[in-house]
Amino acid sequence: MSEQRQHVEIDSRDDIELRLGADVVHLPIVRSVAANIAMRADFDLDAISDLELAVDEACATLIALAAAESILGCRFTIGSDEIAVTASVRSDHTEAANTSSFGWQVLNTLTDSAVTWSEPDGVGSGQHLVSIGLSKRRPVVAG
Amino acid sequence: MTESAATPHRQHSHEYEHLLPLLDELAELDAGDPRRADLREQLVTGFLPVAENIARRFSGRGAAKDDLVQVATLGLINAIDRFDPGRGTDFLSYAVPTVMGEVRRHFRDSSWTMRVPRRLKELHQEVSAASGTLSQRLGRAPTPAEIAEYLGVSRDDVYQGLQVGHAYHPASLEESVTGDDEGMRLAETVGEEDAGIEGVENHESLQPLLSVLPQRERRILALRFFENLTQTQIAERVGLSQMHVSRLLSRSLARLREGITEDEG
Repeated sequence: MSEQRQHVEIDSRDDIELRLGADVVHLPIVRSVAANIAMRADFDLDAISDLELAVDEACATLIALAAAESILGCRFTIGSDEIAVTASVRSDHTEAANTSSFGWQVLNTLTDSAVTWSEPDGVGSGQHLVSIGLSKRRPVVAG
Repeated sequence: MTESAATPHRQHSHEYEHLLPLLDELAELDAGDPRRADLREQLVTGFLPVAENIARRFSGRGAAKDDLVQVATLGLINAIDRFDPGRGTDFLSYAVPTVMGEVRRHFRDSSWTMRVPRRLKELHQEVSAASGTLSQRLGRAPTPAEIAEYLGVSRDDVYQGLQVGHAYHPASLEESVTGDDEGMRLAETVGEEDAGIEGVENHESLQPLLSVLPQRERRILALRFFENLTQTQIAERVGLSQMHVSRLLSRSLARLREGITEDEG
C-alpha cells in the first residue's frame, strides 16, 4: 500500500492539452497556460517562471520547424511532484530540434529534463512529427 | 527615390548615404563570415536614429519609451539582415515599414494591458513585495500558498497578482533607476560575464544580438543561463524583484530568438 502511494500514477483527468496554429502570435497563450498550471500546482515563483520561459522557448523552436499550415500540440501532464510538457509539430524536416543551440541550453537550464525527437507522422505524408519533451520537478521545500 | 509619402525619413535620406556601401558589403558576406558582426553593428548604430524616430512617433500610448526604442531597434536589425540590395529597393523604404511593423506588433501583443484596474496593480505590488520578504526569510523563492498566508489573502488573489505581472510592462509597474552608480558597476562587469557565451555553438550570431540588448538585460541573461543562478538570486544581485527579472528574461529570450532565426533563415 505504501509503495503504491509513493508512485502515484499521473491521472489523465489532470492532463491539459492545447492545439493551436503553429504561429508565434499564439505563444502568449501557451506561455500563460504553462504559468497558470505551475502556479496552481503551488510551484515556487522561480519554478513557475522557469516553466513558463521553457514552454515559450520549446514552442517557439517547434514553430520555427513547423510545416506551413500545421498545428502545434502541447500537452501538460500534472503529477504530484512534477509537471511534464510534450509539444509536437508536423515538419518538413526529418531531424529533431537542434540541441547544440543557445535555445537548447536555455531549455536545459530551465528544466530538469529536456529531450527532443522526430518520427514519421504515420499517415505517409512524408512529413515528420518533431517533439520536445520537458519536465520540471517541484523543488524540494524544507519545512 | 521611390519612397512613399508615408515614409517619415525621406528628408533625411542623405544622412545615411555613407552606410549604403556597408549594406551591399553585408549582403555579400557568407552567413559565417566573422566580419558580419562588426558590419552589422556599424549599420545598427548608423541607422539607430531611424528606429528612435519611429519609437518617438509611437510614444505617449502607454508603453515605456525604452521598450519602444528596443522594439524598434529589433525591427531595424531584422531589416538590416533581410535587406537585399539586389532588388533595387531603397533601404529606408524597406526598413521603415519593417520597424513600424515591429512596433505595431508590440502594441498589439500588449495593448489590452494598458488599463489594468488599480486593485490588480496593488495586488501585484503586494505580492511582489511579499515575495521579496519571503525570499530573504526562506532563502528561496516562495510559493503562491506561502505568499497568500503571509499576506492574509486568498490564493486566488495571489494568482491574480502574479498574472497581472505578465500582462504589464515592467516599466509601468516598477521601473528602476538607471544611470546611477549601480548602473556603472553593471557596465564594468558585463564583459566578464559574457565570457561564458563562448561555449555555445552559435555564439557568433549571439554576440551581435546580445550587444543590442541593454546591459542590464544582458547581464541578467548571462547570470541565468551561463552562471545558472536562480531568478531570485539574480533579483537580489541586481536589485530588482524576481517578477521583474522574470519579465526581462522573457523579453530578452524572445528577442534573441527572433535574431537567431533571421540569421539561419
